[in-house]
Amino acid sequence: MLSALRTAGAFTTRRFAGTQAIAGSSEAPKGIATTGTPFLNPSSKAEYALARLDDVMNLAQRGSIWPLTFGLACCAVEMMHFAAPRYDMDRYGVVFRASPRQADLIFVAGTVTNKMAPALRRIYDQMPEAKWVISMGSCANGGGYYHYAYSVLRGADRVIPVDIYVPGCPPTAEALLYGVLQLQKKIKRKREAQLWYRR
Amino acid sequence: MSLKAWLGIDKLQKFQQIVKEIGGVRAVLRKRYLMDVTRVGTLVGNDKYGNRYYENNEYFVPRNRWVEFPDKVWLDYDASQVPPEWHSWLHHITDSPPTVQEPLTQKFSLDHKENTSIYADKKYIPYSTTRTKVQAWTPGQKPNFD
Repeated sequence: MLSALRTAGAFTTRRFAGTQAIAGSSEAPKGIATTGTPFLNPSSKAEYALARLDDVMNLAQRGSIWPLTFGLACCAVEMMHFAAPRYDMDRYGVVFRASPRQADLIFVAGTVTNKMAPALRRIYDQMPEAKWVISMGSCANGGGYYHYAYSVLRGADRVIPVDIYVPGCPPTAEALLYGVLQLQKKIKRKREAQLWYRR
Repeated sequence: MSLKAWLGIDKLQKFQQIVKEIGGVRAVLRKRYLMDVTRVGTLVGNDKYGNRYYENNEYFVPRNRWVEFPDKVWLDYDASQVPPEWHSWLHHITDSPPTVQEPLTQKFSLDHKENTSIYADKKYIPYSTTRTKVQAWTPGQKPNFD
């Protein structure tokens, strides 16, 4: 299985290098690509319509991500800096919402202890569907400095599925901003309606 | 304060000048679509990835230097598409751009690569030397529990 993974990895890197070489010209992409949609090759008319529906849904969802504050340690201070005027997350429609029932995103900012883990899972379960998780800092990513401590969870991904890992101890507000922008890119490629049709 | 400045007509004239420099209303709308901003500056340099770097010191410090990404990336631009030598100029770590002062490069330094970690087929997967913690099971077969 490992060897399969390795060959797949080598293949993708080679293919990626190939596309980079071909895309050397600085021409604007043709056709629907200029609208910025990632769904370019629909196989039927129905799929085309659902791809456009996906585009609208993804536009609406990535334009107003409301994060739930889950500040546990010093990372929370950087999370506050992200909200403050210098980095100003409000520009991207990211506004803190202090209730899991109306939140789309959760920033796990800081060390998740064993005692906090069930609370984190419960908060995550209370969020409505179409929800994302950004794990912020070494401690939330994989235990970090407290990896060998008796009372600390070795990564928030042991209890909830994580979309974006922001490295750093603590990560800068800029890094968190970059993480949110990466999440927006990820939401852009979400194909919920198309998968519903396929099923 | 002149009457022109008091009525704000000089701002409109400046905007007209900017529209003229960018090259018409269509070009301005295109630029706003791609960059969310309408501004012009002097071209400081290019890099090998096709990015163009501009400076206009009429704007205050963090906004006076900016990058315009090539058309081929369109809306998929990303901060990691800027190579490190231009990053330091863009963020005022250095005063002079790499076109003026060539940055120190070592023979072991790798080529700059953009961050592709959110794309499932392009992300880096490290080679693991440890045994897998899960035993794979192909569906349709009866598991052997002994």
